[in-house]
Amino acid sequence: MLAAFAVVVVVFGVVARADAGLVQAGTYVAIFAPAAIGLSVLLGNVNQISVGQAGFFGIGAYAVGYLTVNQGLPFWIAAPAGIVVAAIVGVALGFIALRFRGHYLAMATLAFGLIAVGVFHASPLLGRASGITGIPFPQLGPLTLNGYPAYWAAWIVALGAALLTLIVLRGRAGRAFEAIRNDELAAEAVGVPTRFWKIVAFAYAGALAAAGGAMFAAFLGLVNPDAVGVALSVDFLLMVVLGGGGLVAGALFGAALIGFLNVAGHQYDNWREVVYGGLVIAFVVFAPSGILGAARAPFVRARRAAAAKAARAPSRAEGHGTSFPAVRAPSDEPLRVDGVTKRFAGLIALDDVSFALRAGTLTSIIGPNGAGKTTLFNAICGIGRPSAGRIAIGGVDVTGRRPHRIAALGVGRTFQNARLFDEMTVLENVVAGAPRAHGKDAAANASALLARMGLAHLAGVLAKDLPFGERRRVELARAAASEPWLLLADEPAAGLNGDERRRLHADLAALRDAGTTVLLIEHDMKLVMAISQRVIVLNFGKVIADGDVATVRNDPAVVAAYLGTAS
Amino acid sequence: MLQLLIAGLTVGSEYGLIALGIHIILRATRAVSFAQGEFAIVGGLIALSIVDALHVSVWIALAGATLAGFALGIAFERVVLRPAGRAGETGATIATIGTVFVLLYGHALVPSWGSEPHPFTPFWPSSNVTLSLSKGEPPLVIPAQSIWVAALLAVALVALYLFFERTYYGKAIRAAADNPLGARLIGIDVRSTRAISVGLGIALAAYAGTIIGPITLVGGAAGFALTIKGFVAAILGGLESPVGCVAGGLVVGVLEALVTAQFGNDVAEPIVYALLLVMLLVRPQGLFGRRDAVRD
Amino acid sequence: MSRLLAIDDLHAGYGAIDVLRGVFLGVDAGEFVAVLGPNGAGKSTLLRTISRYGTSLHGGRIRFDGTDLKQVSTERLVRLGCVHVPEGRQLFGTMSVEDNLRLGAFATNRAALARDLQAMYDRFPQLASRKDQPARTLSGGEQQMLAIGRALMAKPKLLMLDEPSTGLAPQIVEQIFALAGDLTREGTALLVVEQNAYLTLRHAHRAYVLEGGSNALSGTAEELAANPRIKEIYLGGSAG
Repeated sequence: MLAAFAVVVVVFGVVARADAGLVQAGTYVAIFAPAAIGLSVLLGNVNQISVGQAGFFGIGAYAVGYLTVNQGLPFWIAAPAGIVVAAIVGVALGFIALRFRGHYLAMATLAFGLIAVGVFHASPLLGRASGITGIPFPQLGPLTLNGYPAYWAAWIVALGAALLTLIVLRGRAGRAFEAIRNDELAAEAVGVPTRFWKIVAFAYAGALAAAGGAMFAAFLGLVNPDAVGVALSVDFLLMVVLGGGGLVAGALFGAALIGFLNVAGHQYDNWREVVYGGLVIAFVVFAPSGILGAARAPFVRARRAAAAKAARAPSRAEGHGTSFPAVRAPSDEPLRVDGVTKRFAGLIALDDVSFALRAGTLTSIIGPNGAGKTTLFNAICGIGRPSAGRIAIGGVDVTGRRPHRIAALGVGRTFQNARLFDEMTVLENVVAGAPRAHGKDAAANASALLARMGLAHLAGVLAKDLPFGERRRVELARAAASEPWLLLADEPAAGLNGDERRRLHADLAALRDAGTTVLLIEHDMKLVMAISQRVIVLNFGKVIADGDVATVRNDPAVVAAYLGTAS
Repeated sequence: MLQLLIAGLTVGSEYGLIALGIHIILRATRAVSFAQGEFAIVGGLIALSIVDALHVSVWIALAGATLAGFALGIAFERVVLRPAGRAGETGATIATIGTVFVLLYGHALVPSWGSEPHPFTPFWPSSNVTLSLSKGEPPLVIPAQSIWVAALLAVALVALYLFFERTYYGKAIRAAADNPLGARLIGIDVRSTRAISVGLGIALAAYAGTIIGPITLVGGAAGFALTIKGFVAAILGGLESPVGCVAGGLVVGVLEALVTAQFGNDVAEPIVYALLLVMLLVRPQGLFGRRDAVRD
Repeated sequence: MSRLLAIDDLHAGYGAIDVLRGVFLGVDAGEFVAVLGPNGAGKSTLLRTISRYGTSLHGGRIRFDGTDLKQVSTERLVRLGCVHVPEGRQLFGTMSVEDNLRLGAFATNRAALARDLQAMYDRFPQLASRKDQPARTLSGGEQQMLAIGRALMAKPKLLMLDEPSTGLAPQIVEQIFALAGDLTREGTALLVVEQNAYLTLRHAHRAYVLEGGSNALSGTAEELAANPRIKEIYLGGSAG
């Protein structure tokens, strides 16, 4: 896609060389493209809206203006300086953005954009309302980058930014972004440091915008506050929404479309913007993946259908007898929960819960609805700090640690409602389960795991196309991908039919036999009673029974908690 | 000083009404309307056209503009917010930004409106009320328009209060915003209460755009700035608190007037926006909002 | 006479997933019927499917008072006389107790609203003393009473309660079941989903036990209370 776009750029550059107006329009597109690509990463890949992208563009432009005109530095020092400053400001904005989502994030980024313009506007060093003029054209050896050469220079930068972004998105960052976009909580639970990557995304988007801003200042020879205002931020948003967020080529396409319409549609002022506005609404409603996304949709659908068809082919290996690589917990006590209490607004969800697990055993936690079982899992995994008490995993006190750091110790988790990354394939889900593995290894390990679990035929299927029973198994595979020595499984049998339950039983037993310590929340008592070495019963947040299967089942307190008292 | 205060409170009334409209729409639909200021501009222009075309009094124009705002709000909900809401909060927000474009550039296409602002007939012919405070000091001059704006703000607030607190249907709308599932389970049609809420929110914007008309002119490209001031007001007072929104509007108006007088407009704008960011960071529930559920 | 609520071979669930796999159930006018079963048996899904929210109906039939519910929206079901007090109660937390109760009558002719409100305060004296408090400030037991009171304001023929005992102290649960008994004597039918089996069986007329999304047992409350299979269904069969 990118190559095709590059060809168009070259052909256009050759064909239009005599027409200064067209060349200029093409240059404009290249100037705005990097900012659109950055925003596309933010909005489309990490699902973070920004209405302040022009602020970063302005930082790049003003850096070049100020450093070349006022300080006499060459463009080649000024532009990188602007990019670095923008990246730093992006980190700051990223920190702020961690606290917001949805419309609050839109307002916070809007405020950033407005403040940036306000600062440009109020600062005497930056020329106040009239901005900075007389910015020299960059010199590349004997060549002055102006007019026709500027077209090529700008496109080298824009296509370079696009290529760089593609490379970034194919690597670990891309996998992390994709996981965050699909399900932040599940991303944390598999060990993705979501906060870190969100900040990276803001810094990256800011840096790209600043690169565009630097070109703007250099090739136009001026910059002023009006040029980098909120209207430009909205233009960037428009480019991404129309072109297709999350697709590098989509952002380029959007930039080209808006850039050209802005120049070519001069005589249709007002009408043009009304059409933009209508298109934005229409795209949000009818084609949220943008023009390019809509164009790709038939291919994506075909690929999905093919994968789903392949998955139905009778090549399925038997899942029974699955074996997992042996793992060892770093201590004899993989998990110790010590006096953990959790209060929510007056309600006590967990009340002084204590227990410790022995390595390589399978323990079930049972109890009526609302007994606090999932709250306990969350506390162990670092989702919501306990109000009192300590949690030690593998001998390390992890109370209050972020979930991804706990996952990184070697802790796997599955969720009550099977939180897969829906827009990713089964293979990608399992790869994401081991976020610290490197590129090729990660894919090879994940394929091997799927094969061992008899799921290889599903590798190419999108998670959202999976039947429920298989979603559960894929989630288990994802949790197993990091070879955890402690696995927390939250109601893995819920919604499974008889066959699927037997398979789950075999999988859990195999994981335990490989040395993984398993803690299971489960309502399927047949499974619990058949598989557990130990059962802990919670009711009203308290441990009311703890022992082997027979003891617990005949404990009068347990019978009363489940069935009420007969008297 | 007092003069500035009055000027600030007057524009602040408009910010407060814009913020209140944002609040009502947010409560009902969970979407933030970036188009609120544009609807105020269009409302003012509709009032202007009613006066020009029908030669009726400004009061009838005010009523007409408010009603037109209500109708526009119903359409806005049906055409933009409801379908875009299915794309999630971010999608709905982007769609309201699209609406800004449609209204901002669309109104300029109407021949009698254009892109330039117009003067608007005052609500009261006399110009000023002069108060002598004490001997030796210059008398305090209050523009009659400011008094009218304050009175009309009060009228709108009282009417809304009575509707939401005293009428059965008003309470049903609040209930649907408070807990949509609970409302459906007792038979409230949440889709129609949503549409009516958005209608009210936009009617309020149109009303605000009209009553401020004699002071700030109607029409022009000031709508987005108005929206942003509305955001600042709403965040300052608490996006989830109706009283906070109005109070926040008055505070922003006064603050803006004072800072502008002291340091000039160049500084006032970034300070007001910085206030937005600082409030978002320090106290996102606003000065008057309460922090739900965080009572550990 | 046909039943007030009749469910035949119901298949329903979330998205394409079946949670209910063939459920049969009937409630007569004025009858107190319980649906029991362990967590995950599909009890709440059953009520949601009757109320037509959150679940998708894949097959089978639900008839209420002669109307097929397939095309009936959540909002309209109330007008037919079937009111659902869901999991989590879904009160209007920021609004007063009195407003919550008054809004309960939204779907009815509100001519006698003041009298009905007074009758509700007579039934729930605790609510009368808190009528101006926001609903979210009530205790769990009071919230459950308010949720039931709000539902009763719609004068239902059938009241459906989802796990009314969850998270409540035993004496409050006792109070709620006593109220349920009163209601059936007054002619309101009840369909109560509960995990707490023995307690429910002491108050209900009849019960169905679900397991894995389909009927496992059914019969009169006395029969079921004496049936040892219930304990097996809840605490795992003879395995292990």
